[in-house]
Amino acid sequence: MSTISISKISVSGLRKSFGSNEVLKGLDVEISEGEVVCVIGPSGSGKSTFLRCLNKLDELSAGTVVIDGFDLSDKTANLNEMRQHVGMVFQHFNLFPHMTVLQNISLAPVELKKQSKAEARATALTLLDRVGLADKADARPAQLSGGQKQRVAIARSLAVNPNIMLFDEATSALDPEMVGEVLQVIRDLAAEGMTMVVVTHEMGFAREVADRVIFMADGVIVEEGTPAEIFGNPQQPRTQDFLSKVL
Amino acid sequence: MRKFTIFRAGKLTLAVTALLALAGGFVGVGAAAANQPVLPPSAVDGPTYTIGTDTTFAPFEYRKDGELTGIDMDLIRGIAANSGFNVEIKSLGFDAALQALGANQVDGVIAGMSITDERKLVFDFSEPYFDSGIQMAVAESNTAITGYADLAGKTVVAKRGSEGETFANSISDKYKFKVKALADSATMYDDVKAGNSVAVFDDYPVLAYGINQNNGLKSVTEKERGSSYGFAVNKGQNPELLAAFNTGLAELKSNGDYQAILDKYLKEPKPVVASGFFGLLTDSLPALMKGLSLTLLATGLSILIALVLGVLFGFFKVSESRVLRGVSSVYVSIFRGTPLLVQAFFFYFGLPQLTGQNIDVLTAGVLTLSLNAGAYMTEIVRGGIQSVDPGQTEAGRSLGLGYITTMRRVVLPQAVKIMTPSFINQFVMTLKDTSLLAVIGFAELTYQGQQIYAANFRTGETLVIVAALYFIVINLLTMLSNKLDKRFNK
Repeated sequence: MSTISISKISVSGLRKSFGSNEVLKGLDVEISEGEVVCVIGPSGSGKSTFLRCLNKLDELSAGTVVIDGFDLSDKTANLNEMRQHVGMVFQHFNLFPHMTVLQNISLAPVELKKQSKAEARATALTLLDRVGLADKADARPAQLSGGQKQRVAIARSLAVNPNIMLFDEATSALDPEMVGEVLQVIRDLAAEGMTMVVVTHEMGFAREVADRVIFMADGVIVEEGTPAEIFGNPQQPRTQDFLSKVL
Repeated sequence: MRKFTIFRAGKLTLAVTALLALAGGFVGVGAAAANQPVLPPSAVDGPTYTIGTDTTFAPFEYRKDGELTGIDMDLIRGIAANSGFNVEIKSLGFDAALQALGANQVDGVIAGMSITDERKLVFDFSEPYFDSGIQMAVAESNTAITGYADLAGKTVVAKRGSEGETFANSISDKYKFKVKALADSATMYDDVKAGNSVAVFDDYPVLAYGINQNNGLKSVTEKERGSSYGFAVNKGQNPELLAAFNTGLAELKSNGDYQAILDKYLKEPKPVVASGFFGLLTDSLPALMKGLSLTLLATGLSILIALVLGVLFGFFKVSESRVLRGVSSVYVSIFRGTPLLVQAFFFYFGLPQLTGQNIDVLTAGVLTLSLNAGAYMTEIVRGGIQSVDPGQTEAGRSLGLGYITTMRRVVLPQAVKIMTPSFINQFVMTLKDTSLLAVIGFAELTYQGQQIYAANFRTGETLVIVAALYFIVINLLTMLSNKLDKRFNK
């Protein structure tokens, strides 16, 4: 439970349309520093789009997002600077296949001139150790299992030292036996106090790790609350219906 | 050290092109342009005129041991020496020479050209220098055709735009045969020998020379009285050249040189004993290697420029700017949407007419090939970039990397790997496309081959040698490219 109440992410009136299809229909969310928010909901509810609007991989159609002090509705906002504060982990890992694991992780720190090559290498090895893959530094992504790939992807995001982490269905593309190892890494990050927004289908994980659970459907936030409230005593019929199907 | 894959791959292409350019320069020093003066500039102090001629009109113009020779050549050089001017001969082909004259690419044309009323509308002619006539010939083995009456229902062939075609058409209704037009004598004779046409109508001196060279034909009718050949300048241009030609011609006629020239080519032709295939190979190889070096030079230059164009317009195509995408699309659709041959004609003949600025054949050729290949390269680059998973760009951007860094470090190394086989393919295509430049008189490999069989009528064997040279070079270069591809694009 977060005791610090500074707003790390502030979303108000967020709308997003793709052509005539409105995917997000006005979202208002405040997320405090150190808070772990899990976003659940049926497919097509707009969870991933919401997440992608938080680091502006998708443009906002209306509303404001202020994340780690960057106002994304401001056209002059330095997106590259902002994204170094906001790490993102994708469902399909998106590792760079032409680089080794170590190069994947050290690319951004070196290119962004945050670290020398030697420093970046040391950081990368530390991060790999942290996600339990110290021996895979020189492997290519193609030689790794899904769970290993996702742990490398997390290490890669952490290499630029972000204040916030976004997880976009990070375990959805994994074989069941590999889900645990990735969730463990996310769990560790939560324990360290990282501010995180986690879009997930792992209800057990959300219940265990989240400070707050947001249930989305049809582009709106239907209900939010503590895991106990959402999973134990959902108020809205839409939430009850969804949970009855997935639990 | 795989960090700079993109630049390494760039080096690969560079290396190949440099190699080609080098090979071109090495074999072909001094062969950069097809149309060099065949004579060293004579000692005459007068002006120098560029004279266009046919490539294949023996005995008026043809190549012997790599040198242009023939009645026209001896005449124009004799007259030049006599009248005090210099000539630079451009061996372009008949149609191309006339177009070049119209475009003021050349000052005059001497190409066994009949003086006709139609041509008088656009050109000014000298006094006639040769009285020609049309004769019909059939394959040596053909005993069925002995006169025009036997042609009923058959197809004959004549040279496009020539007096032979006019004559054949004038009697085709009466004798009920069809006339097909081809561009040069050697092709027509082959057409008859191959049985596609039963007879050929050609200028009698040309035919007589060919028959004497064992071209496999025989004449079966008497020569028809025909028109006369004249030297031409563009309408209203170079009157002093025309006057000098007429004066020189009169002089040669009166001093006996004129008759000596005619006798040299038309009187008592010596029977030619054909050398074997290896004789042909040894004789033709120097000229063919010269051609090959020009082929490689044009390919190398074109591919290099095409690569630059392809990368530039390819990036335009994937850019977010609608204007840049539009510019790129227009470029690609123009050069993919028109035949290479039309583009070559346009750059060599059309552009000078529009701009008044002459353009040499190598420049025109390289311009054509590079713009054409550039359009295909653009699509290769676009396709390569777009075939990289968008998630790769998102991953790069989400790390805080800028667009250019993401392109350079993440997208392009993967795209180049995807593009390389297509690049190699395009490279081979461009090399083969250089052969089309023969039509504008670019002295590359195919052109050299045409020159050789135009003089010796050994079309099949010569083309086998030409094809073998292309085959060897293309396969060597493909092997080299694939090796480099494997090495750098692991």
